Amino acid sequence: MKNEILRLFSSAFTMDRWLLSSLMTSGLITAAISMLFVAFPASAQQSSINVQCPATTLLHPGGNGIKCGHLVAGDGMVTMADDYQGTGAGKPLYIFSFANLPGGDPLPGGAQPDPGQVMAQGMLAANAPAPTISVDEDDELFLSLTNVGMTMRPDLFDPHTVHWHGFPEAAAIFDGVPDASISIAMGATLTYYYQAKDAGTYMYHCHVEAAEHMQMGMLGNLYVRPRQNKLPAGTVLGTWIHATGNTYAYNDGDGSTRYDVEYPIQIGSFDPDFHDASFNVQPLPFAGMRDRYFLLNGRGYPDTANPAVLTTVDPLGNTQASQPVSSLISAAPGQRILLRISNLSVTQFFTLGSSGLPMEVVALDARLLRDGAGNNLYYKTNSLTLGGGQSADVIVTAPSTAGTYFVYTTNLDRLANDAENFGGMMTEIRVN
Amino acid sequence: MTRSESNTCNAGLARWILALAAGLTLLVPLAVRAAIPGESGNNFSLTARAGYISIADGGSVYSWGYTTGARMQLPGPTLIVTAGQTVTVTLANNLPAAAGNVSIVFPGHQVTATPNTGVPGLLTQEAAPGGSVQYTFIAGEPGTYQYHSGTRPDLQVEMGLYGALIVRPSAAATGCADAAHTAYNHAATCFDREYLYLLSEIDLDVHQAAEQQAAGPGPIDVGDGPFHPEYWLLNGRAAPDTMAAAGDPLLPTQPYNAMTRMHPGERLLLRVVGAGRDMHPFHTHGNHVRVLARDGRLLLSATDANQLAGPLLFTIPSVPGGTVDAIFEWTGKDLGWDIYGTTAINPHVCTPDINGYHSVASDPNYREWCADHNRPIPVNLPDLSVLAFGGFYGGSPYLGALGSLPPGEGGLNPDAGYAYMWHSHTEREMVNNDVFPGGMMTMLIIEAPGVLIVE
Repeated sequence: MKNEILRLFSSAFTMDRWLLSSLMTSGLITAAISMLFVAFPASAQQSSINVQCPATTLLHPGGNGIKCGHLVAGDGMVTMADDYQGTGAGKPLYIFSFANLPGGDPLPGGAQPDPGQVMAQGMLAANAPAPTISVDEDDELFLSLTNVGMTMRPDLFDPHTVHWHGFPEAAAIFDGVPDASISIAMGATLTYYYQAKDAGTYMYHCHVEAAEHMQMGMLGNLYVRPRQNKLPAGTVLGTWIHATGNTYAYNDGDGSTRYDVEYPIQIGSFDPDFHDASFNVQPLPFAGMRDRYFLLNGRGYPDTANPAVLTTVDPLGNTQASQPVSSLISAAPGQRILLRISNLSVTQFFTLGSSGLPMEVVALDARLLRDGAGNNLYYKTNSLTLGGGQSADVIVTAPSTAGTYFVYTTNLDRLANDAENFGGMMTEIRVN
Repeated sequence: MTRSESNTCNAGLARWILALAAGLTLLVPLAVRAAIPGESGNNFSLTARAGYISIADGGSVYSWGYTTGARMQLPGPTLIVTAGQTVTVTLANNLPAAAGNVSIVFPGHQVTATPNTGVPGLLTQEAAPGGSVQYTFIAGEPGTYQYHSGTRPDLQVEMGLYGALIVRPSAAATGCADAAHTAYNHAATCFDREYLYLLSEIDLDVHQAAEQQAAGPGPIDVGDGPFHPEYWLLNGRAAPDTMAAAGDPLLPTQPYNAMTRMHPGERLLLRVVGAGRDMHPFHTHGNHVRVLARDGRLLLSATDANQLAGPLLFTIPSVPGGTVDAIFEWTGKDLGWDIYGTTAINPHVCTPDINGYHSVASDPNYREWCADHNRPIPVNLPDLSVLAFGGFYGGSPYLGALGSLPPGEGGLNPDAGYAYMWHSHTEREMVNNDVFPGGMMTMLIIEAPGVLIVE
């Protein structure tokens, strides 16, 4: 039933859209307009939920190297790691964020999704963190974003965007800054296009009303994997000889960023008062924002070390996968662990400490640390400080002794889940 | 379609209105300038004064600042000096007596106070109320520095007694146009344009306490509460005022703006100054920046002094008291589509130079990345009716080409440049108190090559 209503809504929307666009074309005849409409015939779209994922492109006529994604943007609920008011369960927090659809990524040249299904499956499905996007260098990414609306905030008509944070040589149109380009309204889809040319640890987030939408959780990890992973076996990289299956963080040319296992570490923090104000349709405290839940990949310790997908019951009574990303780091002795660390807190810098295990910082902001003469400027440290919008790639070598080691914020007051001490921004490295 | 062609084709009345509106808000109508505005020379006479600054939410904040004129300004004048020269700064104290003494320290420089001027203070000689003091130093290595009060800095710096100090090299480095377009004595530090981004905060409690006690006997007691700023400033202004014209008469005590414009292929020097007490992650949309220097010290390779060693960053961590100089460039390389449109809709040629760019300077697609030439934009953009538009959106995905927008949309980007936000990525600092957007934010516009940039 819900699907039917949504379909009706969707087609009514399409008609309005036609009316508007014909009004506008008749009203303003300029060369610029005609150019736009030649380039983008509106008649190509039947529904406003239009996922573009071509089978072939000019750059990839064989189809290989075309990657497609489909994010929905809306609201949802997550669960914090405390014992909230003695209920035995964590504090539920209202969030805005992105989610993938259960059908997975669109296939190049595949059929359009059913618009009603997209809406029905996308509503209240938001994840913290937002789904990880991972592509290879030279891939073309067609990333469709469907705004499914905020189910629990029918008073809001917010558009959404994807800002690929750190994308080099960006085009404003795909940069996701609402002030500088376009953002997508509810019930409709915008397909972003990126040619991934530079390996690294990036992030993405919605840039609409950034202080609000990002505090509310629209924060994701985005990784570009280097060409060097695809070298023929036996290729000599300095003192390292590449073997099939070897993986690297960057095109280092010397094997120095090779890793055996990799883990995402997205630093974040939530102010429960802000989220509750949003849920309860109250004025939002911007200047007064004080985060009290300190998170890695959307969870506080000990949930960070839980390998399972966390679920939360949404306000309609449905159980949703809310926090899919575990921060439990597992490795065998001697393995090289790549931690892809980013900070997407909207309120503060954080320092991550690694206790006894040194972290070798090989890259900042998706760029290898290397000077103009080709010298590696990697450094080992036990503390790494990142502000919002910074990223770092660090390699930790698992010690020869099996055991549990910790990664935690050395801003010790933030080892907390709100009022509860001994939690917050911490996770475990288990070597066995 | 290029900007000049869109002029020829004439987008007509709409475009004229846009240009008019933007001309009022974005452009300095009076003078072309080539560099950061400020006071150049080696002999400066500053006065510390009290006054008010404006915030875009309607706030009016009692502040103290250094000025060369009869009116307080915030931040203080950007002092532009030349390496090796002896610089003399005379400071007069015109603050209310309750503010007590005032002074200036110049981190990164060895300063001597002229004998028999001022009164002794903890860090330096100070100017007593109604009095003055004189400092002398030899301008050191080229780079970006700051100056601020060395007297009760917890109060006086918060109140606005800070500014930037730029030391220019005495001669152009090899390959640079002149000394005014050379950041350091190094060929890799030439630049075409330069902008200052001086970051600071305002905690209203402190300013209100100072205002209430200004007429009293002093000293001013601001309590011992936690530091909770409500306003975040770029060059003394909170967005959207950061994007209004420099010298805007509506902002008489905040003469500096942060509106940034450049052409594809130019080298833009950012001088980022942490003048407040918090750290700020300054995020440059559009591309990475190459860090040249921190605190006026060029970062060079340990094995080859011809090579830079600063990192490429998309977010510059600015720390209190620190400065970062960095170079930003943008060409749209490797986007995978032609930012000037296909030749069917905009006839243009791209002849790659040795680096792959179109290098005929008179062409409207100067610095086009030829590998992407004539490739159509690979996706269809949604119909206008399902989109929301920003004021800096020109209406098309093409550089320099205006497109159709619903009535009332756009208007802040009349030459259809590519607009990017540069801002604190601590997003809660992009507000004016509880009003979003605002705060520590400005825009960069990459203008099409033919657009005259009047700074």
